[in-house]
Amino acid sequence: MGESSEDIDQMFSTLLGEMDLLTQSLGVDTLPPPDPNPPRAEFNYSVGFKDLNESLNALEDQDLDALMADLVADISEAEQRTIQAQKESLQNQHHSASLQASIFSGAASLGYGTNVAATGISQYEDDLPPPPADPVLDLPLPPPPPEPLSQLVVKVHMNDNSTKSLMVDERQLARDVLDNLFEKTHCDCNVDWCLYEIYPELQIERFFEDHENVVEVLSDWTRDTENKILFLEKEEKYAVFKNPQNFYLDNRGKKESKETNEKMNAKNKESLLEESFCGTSIIVPELEGALYLKEDGKKSWKRRYFLLRASGIYYVPKGKTKTSRDLACFIQFENVNIYYGTQHKMKYKAPTDYCFVLKHPQIQKESQYIKYLCCDDTRTLNQWVMGIRIAKYGKTLYDNYQRAVAKAGLASRWTNLGTVNAAAPAQPSTGPKTGTTQPNGQIPQATHSVSAVLQEAQRHAETSKDKKPALGNHHDPAVPRAPHAPKSSLPPPPPVRRSSDTSGSPATPLKAKGTGGGGLPAPPDDFLPPPPPPPPLDDPELPPPPPDFMEPPPDFVPPPPPSYAGIAGSELPPPPPPPPAPAPAPVPDSARPPPAVAKRPPVPPKRQENPGHPGGAGGGEQDFMSDLMKALQKKRGNVS
Amino acid sequence: MAGMKTASGDYIDSSWELRVFVGEEDPEAESVTLRVTGESHIGGVLLKIVEQINRKQDWSDHAIWWEQKRQWLLQTHWTLDKYGILADARLFFGPQHRPVILRLPNRRALRLRASFSQPLFQAVAAICRLLSIRHPEELSLLRAPEKKEKKKKEKEPEEELYDLSKVVLAGGVAPALFRGMPAHFSDSAQTEACYHMLSRPQPPPDPLLLQRLPRPSSLSDKTQLHSRWLDSSRCLMQQGIKAGDALWLRFKYYSFFDLDPKTDPVRLTQLYEQARWDLLLEEIDCTEEEMMVFAALQYHINKLSQSGEVGEPAGTDPGLDDLDVALSNLEVKLEGSAPTDVLDSLTTIPELKDHLRIFRPRKLTLKGYRQHWVVFKETTLSYYKSQDEAPGDPIQQLNLKGCEVVPDVNVSGQKFCIKLLVPSPEGMSEIYLRCQDQQYARWMAGCRLASKGRTMADSSYTSEVQAILAFLSLQRTGSGGPGNHPHGPDASAEGLNPYGLVAPRFQRKFKAKQLTPRILEAHQNVAQLSLAEAQLRFIQAWQSLPDFGISYVMVRFKGSRKDEILGIANNRLIRIDLAVGDVVKTWRFSNMRQWNVNWDIRQVAIEFDEHINVAFSCVSASCRIVHEYIGGYIFLSTRERARGEELDEDLFLQLTGGHEAF
Repeated sequence: MGESSEDIDQMFSTLLGEMDLLTQSLGVDTLPPPDPNPPRAEFNYSVGFKDLNESLNALEDQDLDALMADLVADISEAEQRTIQAQKESLQNQHHSASLQASIFSGAASLGYGTNVAATGISQYEDDLPPPPADPVLDLPLPPPPPEPLSQLVVKVHMNDNSTKSLMVDERQLARDVLDNLFEKTHCDCNVDWCLYEIYPELQIERFFEDHENVVEVLSDWTRDTENKILFLEKEEKYAVFKNPQNFYLDNRGKKESKETNEKMNAKNKESLLEESFCGTSIIVPELEGALYLKEDGKKSWKRRYFLLRASGIYYVPKGKTKTSRDLACFIQFENVNIYYGTQHKMKYKAPTDYCFVLKHPQIQKESQYIKYLCCDDTRTLNQWVMGIRIAKYGKTLYDNYQRAVAKAGLASRWTNLGTVNAAAPAQPSTGPKTGTTQPNGQIPQATHSVSAVLQEAQRHAETSKDKKPALGNHHDPAVPRAPHAPKSSLPPPPPVRRSSDTSGSPATPLKAKGTGGGGLPAPPDDFLPPPPPPPPLDDPELPPPPPDFMEPPPDFVPPPPPSYAGIAGSELPPPPPPPPAPAPAPVPDSARPPPAVAKRPPVPPKRQENPGHPGGAGGGEQDFMSDLMKALQKKRGNVS
Repeated sequence: MAGMKTASGDYIDSSWELRVFVGEEDPEAESVTLRVTGESHIGGVLLKIVEQINRKQDWSDHAIWWEQKRQWLLQTHWTLDKYGILADARLFFGPQHRPVILRLPNRRALRLRASFSQPLFQAVAAICRLLSIRHPEELSLLRAPEKKEKKKKEKEPEEELYDLSKVVLAGGVAPALFRGMPAHFSDSAQTEACYHMLSRPQPPPDPLLLQRLPRPSSLSDKTQLHSRWLDSSRCLMQQGIKAGDALWLRFKYYSFFDLDPKTDPVRLTQLYEQARWDLLLEEIDCTEEEMMVFAALQYHINKLSQSGEVGEPAGTDPGLDDLDVALSNLEVKLEGSAPTDVLDSLTTIPELKDHLRIFRPRKLTLKGYRQHWVVFKETTLSYYKSQDEAPGDPIQQLNLKGCEVVPDVNVSGQKFCIKLLVPSPEGMSEIYLRCQDQQYARWMAGCRLASKGRTMADSSYTSEVQAILAFLSLQRTGSGGPGNHPHGPDASAEGLNPYGLVAPRFQRKFKAKQLTPRILEAHQNVAQLSLAEAQLRFIQAWQSLPDFGISYVMVRFKGSRKDEILGIANNRLIRIDLAVGDVVKTWRFSNMRQWNVNWDIRQVAIEFDEHINVAFSCVSASCRIVHEYIGGYIFLSTRERARGEELDEDLFLQLTGGHEAF
């Protein structure tokens, strides 16, 4: 910390001023004013966080810059929200307002404790000098002065035993908090990073789902809780999306199939995911088997045969069969969360240590309403936990994953661009939002940008963990490097997620069409003259899809340090040169399996598939960036 | 010109006489005799026939059917020789489109004209265009089951037969919308009614009827249905269908592409109906809990459709949507800018205060219900010993957010209890509120909203109260609950019977008054859905059932001595033990390399990756049905890629077609 404390103060107050301005400009997102009722006694947020004044006093020096970073993040987040609000109103999503309103009302009931923090901020602001006129960020102010967001300071335990204090406002989702942490920690941002809550008392733990509201979850903790929040990598978090076959195609107890499963190629994985998550309704993995159930209030465990269905967990009553009509409902997921149990063998005399627990999130102590289940091995455990999460969260889980993937890939890219933004406003307009300009001299591939981003993201996501090859499409405008040499050895670019073809080999009949069916001649019909072209898909010359050998994906580009510079436009370094033109599209492999693919141009990804989820599918990220650009441009226009 | 004669009347060319019957296949039909040669073109023959008949009529739809070869002579430029027609050919000159009675997925009957000369695939596509169902490739026709001669006593009530046989569609173009329905339906009141029948869910069936209808009792029963599918590459005429025959229209392939409530009202409704009947007739099994959800959705859907809240044809006017958004934005802004209003609304959160009897089950207690003064404000329930003590500290205060609310109601017993399971850090605390009849709906609605974190100020409160009252009146069956009798045609006098909403096995298991509260309980989660949303939810829940979308066929695997069941789903084949019903093995289409049909020995052979070979002969249905199912699903899986393109009919026929030439 080379700077003097005055500098910090100065900067801090500037930031607060900025934030105030930005929050004020949130025309749509205003909170109702605080309830006039006096705060109730039982609502106390002394859990892991304190009100702002207190924490400011208590914070040590090194935490100050952590908080600064938070504020920066807050500002950018506020900005994001403004834009998003505009965007949403543009997109006819009038329900979003009510949606957010409901989030607020959810948060409002726990608002009393947090109001303290809120008032703390506003008092602070009163003392501040008026914010300096920033040419970049001077937004025209709408009249209503809304209430600043209430915020909490949350202590997050890092995996190196250090802790970081983090400001979390009541609207932030786990995803937002993770993004903040990514900026602070310089980690690789891969999809496995998660917020993790542990209950030392119950010896249970689970990861936050990315769409969960953090403050809401924390509000269930008691005042004297030992519960902690961790920031760590868990490959279980999105395991189903990396190896869906382990969850969807697992033939219980059959070793050979397990081996073949490991070898499933990326394309089949993708089609399996699409089949499971992109249909009219999602498919919950078929899961059944004997598990141990801890009996209420006792330390004895009973073995029962359980089945997972989309509607809940069922068991087979004594003397009954496992047909649907005989099943008895064990639990439904609406009101419970799923947790891993740790060392329950010791604590509860569980048969194994592979336990999972279902309980209402508000229950914090031992109770007969907590359900303990125990599996034979870790594989089964992971299957059940994932299966239950899929049944509980459905498509949201997949959307979360896609956002995480996009984030992982974008992390480096967009933070780079983030500094460029002000200087080179045209840059992010490659986003699908505008869709018209292709400043990179991109080959006219309908709407490649989302796909490129996603795939790049995917590569980033996968690089760090396992050496999985990237999923095709090597447009990579952001990473300046020579095109990969052995293009021809690459698998053909798999179509973009969602729009891809559903399966590999069933497409082979298309081949049969071309060749006129060289295979087994079907015996001719009784009297019809010409021997028919047989339906068989005999296609011996067709090699299996080429194995995914290719050079390992490009090195990971470390995310640039979190830059406060993003705010103070004047302090910007000269913008990095615009990204070079992307590598040309990979030459289609001659051994491309389904000829039908070759016949048709790749289908453009459907962006608007679920407009209900803001930023649900990674495309939102880009939308946001281009919108941000527009906003900034507009601002400049206003100034000049 | 055929028929050159000498003066003596002898024919001197190679012409011969061809007799053509006019009309449909009927030996008594009038006939015309033509003089033709082998070089005569079919077109010329047609012309001659019309000349000979000498009647003014639109003959454009007529064509010649060759009875012996079971073939239409549609190639007008072909000669008789090319077709191989000789003087002994029995030819019929008849219309290509003939009326059939179509039994729709909603079990209603509809008369319309179907093409008897095109391959069934095209004929179904035309029917679907007429009915405005998108994605006709998912549907097909079945033969109606043989009617068992029943005792004459049971007279089937005359059912309404809708008629679309006079409606003619301009080909090619998607019908324009007019007054919220495709234009060709708005011609007359009759067709309009027909459209309503198609696009609106039907009321629940009579429980007695439900019990009478045949239900599959075993897997092998479930295979029966699939033996009746018609062949999609041949025309109706070739498959022995006659004019006026009854056919079933059903969704055959359980892979519903791009289901959009806004553009697909008929498709969505018919799909919902098929799903509903599947469940009611136990074609697909579900658990008790799932059945309650299905019943609640049906109840909700029926209520909405009967009350006419079908929902405006949304999406027709994007400008209106914009306006809505703008208005709601404005609303939000106003709320934000006028803090006094907000304050008002905050301070006027409705409260409930009343004397209720409360029971808290505890171990080792014999105490029953006790009268308390209960105050319900926002999401918090507080109770006091008496009203006088209310300003002081309550005996207990419970925040109902996230709690479980279970109704425990017996109308005839005048029991109106609300069971609450309130979460707290220590566990769940159980508490029972016993209300009076008139208190119940308001308190119940308040509890439900509170459990979702909403207060009684929420806009849904009133509708929630109404829903509960409506459901209570259901329980007063016989006494004629007020206000709940929809004016629809089939709303029977006795009100809604919960037995019409569940499969018959639940009728045996539960009494109606046991069933109603459970349906009510499930209903609270769906009460706010719109009609289309509820239908979609129903379909989704149906799709989530483990046994969804499996078509069963009885087969004999090569090398096996007993019959087994082959289940065909949209992504896999399943080998199922016939006796036990256990899944023996699953093969996914994505691993399939090829499949062959040996038509002589009726055997299907499939090769999967890694040299896994499977072969079986089909027992319950023809192997062409299995073949068509597999090919059809593979065809459907190519649709994603071909999005927006015309349906590739050739590909479909190639994948599903059998031994005939194309």
